[in-house]
Amino acid sequence: MLCATAPLLAHHSFGAEYDANKPITLTGVVTKVEWTNPHSFFYVDVKDDNGNVANWKFEGYPPGVLYRTGWKRDVTMKPGDTVKVFGWQARDGTHWAHSREVTVADGKKLFFGPPAGTGDGGNTPAVDVK
Amino acid sequence: MSQVMRVLLSFALVLMALPPAPVAAQTTPAKKKNSFPRVRDGKPNLTGVWQGGSTARGTWEEANRGTGLGGTGLDPAAPGVLSSSDRPANREPAPYQPWAAAKVMESYKIRGIDDPAARCLPPGVPRTPLLGLFPTQIVQTPELIVILYEYMGMSRVIRMNAKHPDDTIPSYMGDSTGHWEGDTLVVDSTGFNDKTWLIGTGTFHTEALHVTERYTRVDKDRIDYDVTMEDPGVLTKPWVIHSNLMLREGTRLQEYVCAENNVDPGHYEDLLKNGIKFTRP
Repeated sequence: MLCATAPLLAHHSFGAEYDANKPITLTGVVTKVEWTNPHSFFYVDVKDDNGNVANWKFEGYPPGVLYRTGWKRDVTMKPGDTVKVFGWQARDGTHWAHSREVTVADGKKLFFGPPAGTGDGGNTPAVDVK
Repeated sequence: MSQVMRVLLSFALVLMALPPAPVAAQTTPAKKKNSFPRVRDGKPNLTGVWQGGSTARGTWEEANRGTGLGGTGLDPAAPGVLSSSDRPANREPAPYQPWAAAKVMESYKIRGIDDPAARCLPPGVPRTPLLGLFPTQIVQTPELIVILYEYMGMSRVIRMNAKHPDDTIPSYMGDSTGHWEGDTLVVDSTGFNDKTWLIGTGTFHTEALHVTERYTRVDKDRIDYDVTMEDPGVLTKPWVIHSNLMLREGTRLQEYVCAENNVDPGHYEDLLKNGIKFTRP
């Protein structure tokens, strides 16, 4: 039997809030980690070329999913850690993004959130368009 | 009694004590075919923690190594699991009446920001049991089968060999009764409100929704899950979906309190208020 491979989250619409055409990779220092439902967040101070620091907010999986994908609360990523984050920027252009892959302080790469296109209905609607 | 008679009688008694050969011959292949636990009355025992929308065997960690939803990415070739916002892959379109299909498309075009679950409302049936991102725990007794879902902390109590009450108050998860047809657990659910989506963005329904689920444990690791949705208010014919639940030994359900930090609906309002384009053409 074929297995559905649709990489979509059960809860919120990726496509409404984030732009899959705006991938972003940032490195900075973690300031806060929130293991909360329905989604977790973490915040990173990122310095630009001019030395200006912006605090970026990243959204990702709920705690139960983070736990099952290998994250340990207060261990894998803590305030003060330097991390590299790959994700997609919010449509509103602020310092806010959906996080996908995080390279944590010890060099390990983990997914903090699902792929782009989660929860927004995917590429094919449930009904056929006439 | 002569010595000969005594020997014959002893032989006969020994034969009676042995199980009849044909039965023994039937038992072995049957065991192989249905090598999963059964309860005392012989019905399949569905008790355990399961993952919906998957066909991969193994522990949660072993079975979720792909790059899709909930995967660790350790094996990029591994399959992903079913989500509740997408049209299930390789399946027929939902058989909505034309006016209702247009309404489904409205939700699709606004990328599902009207999803009731995004407001932390219970996700309903069969959306919840089809989910693969969160585990499901089944607790089976002869009178009741209880299904606990990590997602939204929902639960269903399936009363065996019972009738639906005639004073049902429409609810998100409906009223469920169950019975066995051979080795298949058949769950009949009615009494739904019209505030959930069936499976996929915008798949609304009316209070006339009737859901029939068939849970067939085919081996130790796998339950075949077949669900039929009937709603003459919006569908042209019954909508049938075939999926699976896979045993995930060692997995514990975690707490999921959706209201804790649900900021996304506020973001949707900001998008609309600030005129930021996010809809599909």
